[in-house]
Amino acid sequence: MSEHPYAFLALFLAVALAFPLVLLAVSQLWFRFFQPPKPSASKNDVYECGVASTGDSWIQFKPHYYLYAILFLIFDVEILFLLPFAVAFTGLPTGALVTMLVFVLLLAEGLVWAWRRGHLEWR
Amino acid sequence: MTTNYPELFCAFAGEASLVLGMLVVLGYDLTVGRKRSPTERWQASCILGGAALFSALVVGLRVGVVGPVLGGEFMLDALGVGTRAAVLVLAGLTLMLTAGTARLRNPAEFVAIVLLAATGFSLMAVAQQLLVAFLALELASLSLYVLAGFDKTRPESAEAALKYFLFGGMSAAFLLFGFSLLYGLTGSIDTSAIAAALAAQGSSPLLSVALVMVLVAFGFKAAAAPFHLWAPDVYQGAPATSAALIASASKLAGLTFFVRLLWPGLGYATGDVALRHFSPGWLAVVALLSAASLLVGNFGALAQSNLRRLLAYSAIAHAGALLLGVMAAGTAGPAPLYFYAATYGLATVGAFGVVAVLEAAGVGPQIADLAGLYRRSPLLAGCLFIFILSLAGIPPLAGFFGKFAVFAAALNFGGLASVTGWLAFAAIFLSAVALYYYLRVLKQALVAPPAPGADGRIAVPGAAALALLLAALLLVVLGVFPSLLLQIFS
Amino acid sequence: MIHAGLNTYVTLSALLFVIGFFGVLLRKNTLVIFMSLELMLVASTLALVAFSRFNGTLDGNVFVFFILTIAAAEVAVGLAIIVALFRMRRTVQVDELNALKH
Repeated sequence: MSEHPYAFLALFLAVALAFPLVLLAVSQLWFRFFQPPKPSASKNDVYECGVASTGDSWIQFKPHYYLYAILFLIFDVEILFLLPFAVAFTGLPTGALVTMLVFVLLLAEGLVWAWRRGHLEWR
Repeated sequence: MTTNYPELFCAFAGEASLVLGMLVVLGYDLTVGRKRSPTERWQASCILGGAALFSALVVGLRVGVVGPVLGGEFMLDALGVGTRAAVLVLAGLTLMLTAGTARLRNPAEFVAIVLLAATGFSLMAVAQQLLVAFLALELASLSLYVLAGFDKTRPESAEAALKYFLFGGMSAAFLLFGFSLLYGLTGSIDTSAIAAALAAQGSSPLLSVALVMVLVAFGFKAAAAPFHLWAPDVYQGAPATSAALIASASKLAGLTFFVRLLWPGLGYATGDVALRHFSPGWLAVVALLSAASLLVGNFGALAQSNLRRLLAYSAIAHAGALLLGVMAAGTAGPAPLYFYAATYGLATVGAFGVVAVLEAAGVGPQIADLAGLYRRSPLLAGCLFIFILSLAGIPPLAGFFGKFAVFAAALNFGGLASVTGWLAFAAIFLSAVALYYYLRVLKQALVAPPAPGADGRIAVPGAAALALLLAALLLVVLGVFPSLLLQIFS
Repeated sequence: MIHAGLNTYVTLSALLFVIGFFGVLLRKNTLVIFMSLELMLVASTLALVAFSRFNGTLDGNVFVFFILTIAAAEVAVGLAIIVALFRMRRTVQVDELNALKH
């Protein structure tokens, strides 16, 4: 029997599927026979690190998180342009370098603006 | 391909000065301005922004008509240079109106975003390649979404911004999908190369899909029916000066952008609308949009009691006539369309400027609230008279000549027995309907006596008065001497 | 090994585009509408990359770079508008946004 070079992948997949299924089945059996549901107020509570929970779990996040995410996004996307530029760097004329500097400067201006306006201070 | 950076900088020194101006405005407000009073901050920001716009205008005109730049990626032809100049003038008028009337917070940010939008418009005017054109369009659109929602004290402003954003985002997605199909069909994102490839390979179902998608985006940008639903809400909810920019400069830049795309780029798929040899193409679709806009705009405006919504429906009606100009650009060139769009922009900025001054003085948004304006502020009443009559197309104002040129070009385009000919006749007939609702506004402002309890004088801030007078003067002068504007096309 | 042809990619991207389009039309929550809009943009990028591969030119790939940036900018502006609206109106459902009537 000639063995396919990737046959072990199929075996691996089967084991990977079987392993959680067996565990889930065992825990389900355990739940059926040894641990019938007995709901109570403290059992149904929201879990907060073991401390007694306060208030609703549907709370609003501060919009500040959003500002941080946006500021991160600016520099996240900047990479998209800087990386190809860096890869091709040695073959590029001076004009390209100047253009890229202007680009980075414009982004930095955005950061300076947010900083001076106090959007980076956590309140 | 190597890029010629000096050439690039020379051609776009105007845009560079706009971006630089934006940085200066923000920097000034962050350092010196934060210790000043809000009024002083508004004045300083608007003066700096105005200086940037003015230098961009001067630089742009000095570069002049030089033809294709950077191997055809940009086209500095008469249409491009003219649109650029007009857009900058319109943005400048908007800034002057804002300086006197705005009660918004964050003046520097407002001015900076107006400058960014102006950069987007002026790139849209000259872009000849799909990628640059799309980027310019998005730069302008994103700035306008922010401007529409700039008034954080009024819920209507945020709602208008959201509606504008959702419709605009969808139209941008349509445009992008259309562009990707065009690229797939032709293997190029350059307008002239696309035209050549389309002529070689003939029509295909994918081409029709791409065409429809591009036209949907076009309909949105021009506020043409049935893609007009955002316009009344945005014109009503946005701050008055933002609405002025959305209605004027954005429309002019969008029309230039699509005329460039449709005639030279998609010229192969034009089709024919003459009745003898009708063939499907984008002309037929644009004709449909035009007819729908003329009807919806003119009859919708009859029912409005809010001045801003009335201006919105009148904008839709004008979009119908402008689309007629787009079709006629095939034989008559873009000059009539450009003249119409530029003078329409001037009149709209002026009308929204009057609305802005009135709202700053606490005079409500209904047409009925205009009663007795001639006694409360003769200046405002006089300017409104000129703007509204120009919108209605009464000689000797510029609006009349624009309409005349576009309708004449449309009649020439296919002769009397063609769809464009009929549309021109329909537009002339509907102008009579339009006259009714325009005169309704003027009757309130010029004839009706002031309501009891609301007859105090309305103070007009200096900068706003100057902007209104300037716009009115331009409308009169261009109406009498249209060749002043049209000479760049000859 | 299956070789995916150009048609497969274009069909997939058209499907994604249509899903996004109907999401925009039918959903009531602004955030979900917003995600559908992004899906429409991403559908176009898929088509562009596929065309770029099969046309043998790089323009499509470059286009995609810029679209990703635009999508990020659109997210920033769109979320800002939604936050501003929520502060004023305490809702993000589109059918409750009807303040603008004559």
